[in-house]
Amino acid sequence: MPFREKSAWISLLSISLIYGLYFWSVVHAGPHAGFHFGSLLATVIALIVAQVVLHIVVAIAAPKEAKAPRDERDKLIELKATRIAYSGLATAIACACLFGALDPPIVFNTNALLFVLVTAELMRTSCQIIQYRRGA
Amino acid sequence: MTRVAIRNEIRRLRFEHGEMTQQDLADKIGVTRQTVNAIEQGKYSPSLEAAFRIAAAFDTPLEGVFHYSKD
Repeated sequence: MPFREKSAWISLLSISLIYGLYFWSVVHAGPHAGFHFGSLLATVIALIVAQVVLHIVVAIAAPKEAKAPRDERDKLIELKATRIAYSGLATAIACACLFGALDPPIVFNTNALLFVLVTAELMRTSCQIIQYRRGA
Repeated sequence: MTRVAIRNEIRRLRFEHGEMTQQDLADKIGVTRQTVNAIEQGKYSPSLEAAFRIAAAFDTPLEGVFHYSKD
Protein backbone atom coordinates (compact mmCIF):
# COMPACT_ATOMS: atom_id res chain seq x y z
CA MET A 1 0.00 0.00 0.00
CA PRO A 2 1.53 3.37 -1.01
CA PHE A 3 2.32 5.94 1.66
CA ARG A 4 -0.29 8.38 0.27
CA GLU A 5 -3.01 5.75 0.60
CA LYS A 6 -1.94 4.97 4.16
CA SER A 7 -2.06 8.71 4.86
CA ALA A 8 -5.61 8.86 3.48
CA TRP A 9 -6.63 5.89 5.68
CA ILE A 10 -5.12 7.63 8.73
CA SER A 11 -7.12 10.78 7.97
CA LEU A 12 -10.33 8.87 7.31
CA LEU A 13 -10.16 6.74 10.46
CA SER A 14 -8.92 9.47 12.82
CA ILE A 15 -11.49 12.02 11.62
CA SER A 16 -14.30 9.45 11.75
CA LEU A 17 -13.43 8.35 15.27
CA ILE A 18 -12.51 11.66 16.90
CA TYR A 19 -15.16 13.87 15.27
CA GLY A 20 -17.62 10.99 15.64
CA LEU A 21 -17.12 11.17 19.41
CA TYR A 22 -17.50 14.96 19.32
CA PHE A 23 -20.78 14.89 17.38
CA TRP A 24 -22.04 12.04 19.53
CA SER A 25 -21.45 14.21 22.62
CA VAL A 26 -23.17 17.18 20.94
CA VAL A 27 -26.25 15.11 20.08
CA HIS A 28 -26.43 13.63 23.58
CA ALA A 29 -26.03 17.05 25.21
CA GLY A 30 -29.28 18.17 23.59
CA PRO A 31 -30.28 21.43 21.91
CA HIS A 32 -30.06 23.59 25.03
CA ALA A 33 -26.54 22.60 26.11
CA GLY A 34 -24.87 25.53 24.37
CA PHE A 35 -21.64 25.58 22.43
CA HIS A 36 -18.66 24.06 24.25
CA PHE A 37 -15.56 25.63 22.76
CA GLY A 38 -13.36 23.56 25.07
CA SER A 39 -14.82 20.33 23.74
CA LEU A 40 -14.16 21.40 20.15
CA LEU A 41 -10.62 22.52 21.01
CA ALA A 42 -9.92 19.16 22.67
CA THR A 43 -11.26 17.41 19.55
CA VAL A 44 -9.00 19.41 17.22
CA ILE A 45 -5.93 18.83 19.42
CA ALA A 46 -6.70 15.11 19.68
CA LEU A 47 -7.05 14.92 15.89
CA ILE A 48 -3.74 16.71 15.28
CA VAL A 49 -1.89 14.54 17.81
CA ALA A 50 -3.41 11.31 16.44
CA GLN A 51 -2.59 12.19 12.84
CA VAL A 52 0.97 13.33 13.60
CA VAL A 53 1.74 10.22 15.67
CA LEU A 54 0.24 7.82 13.13
CA HIS A 55 2.02 9.51 10.22
CA ILE A 56 5.33 9.29 12.10
CA VAL A 57 4.77 5.57 12.73
CA VAL A 58 3.97 4.94 9.06
CA ALA A 59 6.93 7.08 7.92
CA ILE A 60 9.31 5.15 10.18
CA ALA A 61 8.05 1.88 8.66
CA ALA A 62 8.65 3.12 5.09
CA PRO A 63 10.99 6.15 5.20
CA LYS A 64 11.83 6.14 1.48
CA GLU A 65 8.17 6.29 0.44
CA ALA A 66 7.40 8.94 3.03
CA LYS A 67 10.20 11.21 1.80
CA ALA A 68 9.26 10.84 -1.88
CA PRO A 69 7.34 13.80 -3.31
CA ARG A 70 3.87 13.27 -4.72
CA ASP A 71 4.04 12.12 -8.32
CA GLU A 72 1.64 13.06 -11.13
CA ARG A 73 -0.80 10.24 -10.32
CA ASP A 74 -0.94 11.21 -6.63
CA LYS A 75 -1.70 14.80 -7.67
CA LEU A 76 -4.39 13.69 -10.12
CA ILE A 77 -6.04 11.49 -7.50
CA GLU A 78 -5.96 14.36 -5.01
CA LEU A 79 -7.47 16.77 -7.54
CA LYS A 80 -10.29 14.37 -8.44
CA ALA A 81 -11.03 13.70 -4.77
CA THR A 82 -11.04 17.41 -3.97
CA ARG A 83 -13.38 18.16 -6.88
CA ILE A 84 -15.87 15.53 -5.70
CA ALA A 85 -15.61 16.69 -2.08
CA TYR A 86 -16.12 20.30 -3.17
CA SER A 87 -19.39 19.35 -4.89
CA GLY A 88 -20.51 17.66 -1.71
CA LEU A 89 -19.40 20.64 0.37
CA ALA A 90 -21.27 23.13 -1.83
CA THR A 91 -24.45 21.04 -1.69
CA ALA A 92 -24.20 20.59 2.07
CA ILE A 93 -23.54 24.32 2.63
CA ALA A 94 -26.69 25.10 0.65
CA CYS A 95 -28.62 22.66 2.84
CA ALA A 96 -27.10 24.23 5.97
CA CYS A 97 -28.21 27.67 4.77
CA LEU A 98 -31.77 26.38 4.31
CA PHE A 99 -31.56 24.83 7.77
CA GLY A 100 -30.37 28.21 9.11
CA ALA A 101 -33.46 29.86 7.63
CA LEU A 102 -35.53 27.83 10.12
CA ASP A 103 -33.86 29.92 12.85
CA PRO A 104 -32.38 27.09 14.91
CA PRO A 105 -30.25 27.75 18.03
CA ILE A 106 -26.78 29.09 17.19
CA VAL A 107 -25.20 25.92 18.56
CA PHE A 108 -27.02 23.95 15.86
CA ASN A 109 -25.83 26.26 13.12
CA THR A 110 -22.20 26.12 14.27
CA ASN A 111 -22.17 22.36 14.61
CA ALA A 112 -24.06 21.91 11.35
CA LEU A 113 -21.35 23.85 9.50
CA LEU A 114 -18.65 21.88 11.28
CA PHE A 115 -20.42 18.65 10.36
CA VAL A 116 -20.51 19.77 6.72
CA LEU A 117 -16.75 20.46 6.73
CA VAL A 118 -15.95 17.13 8.38
CA THR A 119 -18.19 15.27 5.95
CA ALA A 120 -16.47 16.96 2.99
CA GLU A 121 -13.07 15.91 4.33
CA LEU A 122 -14.32 12.35 4.80
CA MET A 123 -15.58 12.39 1.20
CA ARG A 124 -12.20 13.63 -0.02
CA THR A 125 -10.18 10.97 1.79
CA SER A 126 -12.69 8.25 0.85
CA CYS A 127 -12.43 9.21 -2.83
CA GLN A 128 -8.63 9.11 -2.61
CA ILE A 129 -8.71 5.63 -1.08
CA ILE A 130 -11.18 4.34 -3.69
CA GLN A 131 -9.00 5.63 -6.53
CA TYR A 132 -5.83 4.16 -5.01
CA ARG A 133 -7.65 0.82 -4.55
CA ARG A 134 -8.78 0.86 -8.17
CA GLY A 135 -5.25 1.64 -9.25
CA ALA A 136 -6.44 4.72 -11.13
CA MET B 1 -11.73 4.19 -13.69
CA THR B 2 -12.25 2.50 -17.06
CA ARG B 3 -9.34 0.92 -18.83
CA VAL B 4 -7.71 3.20 -21.36
CA ALA B 5 -7.20 2.47 -25.04
CA ILE B 6 -3.45 2.93 -24.76
CA ARG B 7 -1.55 -0.34 -24.65
CA ASN B 8 2.06 -0.56 -23.58
CA GLU B 9 5.09 -2.82 -23.77
CA ILE B 10 6.55 -1.89 -20.41
CA ARG B 11 6.40 -5.41 -18.97
CA ARG B 12 8.26 -6.86 -21.98
CA LEU B 13 10.76 -4.00 -22.07
CA ARG B 14 11.51 -4.39 -18.36
CA PHE B 15 12.15 -8.09 -18.93
CA GLU B 16 14.43 -7.33 -21.89
CA HIS B 17 16.39 -4.78 -19.86
CA GLY B 18 17.84 -7.20 -17.35
CA GLU B 19 14.52 -7.93 -15.66
CA MET B 20 14.34 -4.37 -14.42
CA THR B 21 11.96 -4.12 -11.45
CA GLN B 22 9.03 -1.72 -11.31
CA GLN B 23 10.85 0.09 -8.50
CA ASP B 24 13.98 0.51 -10.68
CA LEU B 25 11.88 2.00 -13.47
CA ALA B 26 9.97 4.16 -11.00
CA ASP B 27 13.23 5.56 -9.62
CA LYS B 28 14.48 6.31 -13.15
CA ILE B 29 11.39 8.24 -14.19
CA GLY B 30 10.59 9.88 -10.86
CA VAL B 31 7.28 8.29 -9.92
CA THR B 32 6.18 5.72 -7.33
CA ARG B 33 6.26 1.96 -7.95
CA GLN B 34 2.47 1.94 -7.67
CA THR B 35 2.25 4.43 -10.53
CA VAL B 36 4.48 2.27 -12.74
CA ASN B 37 2.26 -0.71 -11.88
CA ALA B 38 -0.89 1.26 -12.76
CA ILE B 39 0.63 2.37 -16.09
CA GLU B 40 1.80 -1.15 -16.89
CA GLN B 41 -1.66 -2.58 -16.23
CA GLY B 42 -3.29 0.11 -18.39
CA LYS B 43 -5.20 1.57 -15.45
CA TYR B 44 -3.52 4.95 -15.68
CA SER B 45 -2.35 6.93 -18.71
CA PRO B 46 0.87 8.79 -17.91
CA SER B 47 1.47 12.40 -18.86
CA LEU B 48 3.34 13.00 -22.09
CA GLU B 49 6.44 13.94 -20.09
CA ALA B 50 6.33 10.72 -18.06
CA ALA B 51 5.75 8.71 -21.25
CA PHE B 52 8.87 10.23 -22.81
CA ARG B 53 10.84 9.52 -19.64
CA ILE B 54 9.73 5.88 -19.75
CA ALA B 55 10.76 5.61 -23.40
CA ALA B 56 14.12 7.21 -22.58
CA ALA B 57 14.65 4.76 -19.72
CA PHE B 58 14.39 1.92 -22.25
CA ASP B 59 16.30 3.88 -24.91
CA THR B 60 13.34 3.34 -27.24
CA PRO B 61 11.11 5.70 -29.24
CA LEU B 62 7.74 6.49 -27.68
CA GLU B 63 5.87 4.30 -30.18
CA GLY B 64 8.06 1.41 -29.11
CA VAL B 65 6.51 1.62 -25.63
CA PHE B 66 2.95 2.85 -26.15
CA HIS B 67 0.34 1.93 -28.76
CA TYR B 68 -3.01 3.64 -29.20
CA SER B 69 -5.94 1.35 -29.90
CA LYS B 70 -9.17 2.72 -31.38
CA ASP B 71 -11.27 -0.04 -29.72
